Amino acid sequence: MERKTLTTTKRTDFRKGVNRRLRKEGKIPAVIYGHTEPRAIALDELEFNRKFHYMSENMIITLKTEDRDYDVLIKDYQEDVLTERIMHIDFFAIDEKSELSARVPIHIEGSAAGVREGGILETYLYELDIQCLPKDLPDNISVDISPLEIGDSIHVSDLEVPEGVKLLHEDEQVLIHVSHQRIEEEEVEEEELEEGLEGEEGLEGEEVEGEEEEEA
Amino acid sequence: MLSPKRTKYRKRQRGSLSGKAGRGNTISFGDFGLVATENKWITNRQIEAARIAMTRYMKRGGKVWIRLFPDMPYTKKPAETRMGKGKGAPEYWVAVVKAGTVMFEIAGVPRSVAHEALRLAAHKLPIKARFAARRTME
Repeated sequence: MERKTLTTTKRTDFRKGVNRRLRKEGKIPAVIYGHTEPRAIALDELEFNRKFHYMSENMIITLKTEDRDYDVLIKDYQEDVLTERIMHIDFFAIDEKSELSARVPIHIEGSAAGVREGGILETYLYELDIQCLPKDLPDNISVDISPLEIGDSIHVSDLEVPEGVKLLHEDEQVLIHVSHQRIEEEEVEEEELEEGLEGEEGLEGEEVEGEEEEEA
Repeated sequence: MLSPKRTKYRKRQRGSLSGKAGRGNTISFGDFGLVATENKWITNRQIEAARIAMTRYMKRGGKVWIRLFPDMPYTKKPAETRMGKGKGAPEYWVAVVKAGTVMFEIAGVPRSVAHEALRLAAHKLPIKARFAARRTME
């Protein structure tokens, strides 16, 4: 994977008001920790959004500060739930010689035969926890789902991982499963609605016991 | 329709509806979701209407998760009743939804189908909502 570079500025004031002003100016407050002394920094939001369309923990990024460069991973980030704007990023400084834990996305290849027959593809894991040296960090782990029939699953043990990469999951864990289609009938829906109305009427009677207990 | 099986107390105080969702604000199960952008109560009938709209559009295929549960009783006084004489009787159930809550999730369908299904579902709800996808999928 091509290594991306970001320029940063030093942050000396950590109060929330200062950070809010930074965000208004189009910066993202961030921190670097890990195999280095913790350091507070700020990034340019425009530059970050232009270079990163999605975030994954397996991207090694070079951060340029005034005095030195850091090789880091995105360990965590906070975003605004409404605007999806990034509020803060945690960068983990890596050491080329020591193993690291990271999350790598699963790349699904092909289309399952069971889905063409009417099954539903259910994905249980979107990312895999792995342990490896930074030089062995894969972009993604591919899974070919084309032979999957209805009722078939792919487990962690079925994955082919690159050399030097250790999966931190149990072998029996299911990644992808093709399940049977649950056909919903119109009549059933109407019946459910009627039942619901009856249930509502019975609601007060049901809870009288609770009230009595309360009074006692 | 969704409603609690049993409750400890019949009626509840209304509480406040301010702030953003501190939990239930990430897409956890499916690929796409419908995110509330307003704070409001959503009734069990509205949740059911939204679910039916979604599943009818998707016909075959796809899986739907309802991330809301109407666990708050809504009380109402009978018509033409004078004020006082205590709180009204429970009428129906509502879910307290804060801005940022992922209300529904969908998986197993293409983005365009999920978008349309969630758009139809959003029209059954009393709040403004937006479509969202998993960050790793974008």
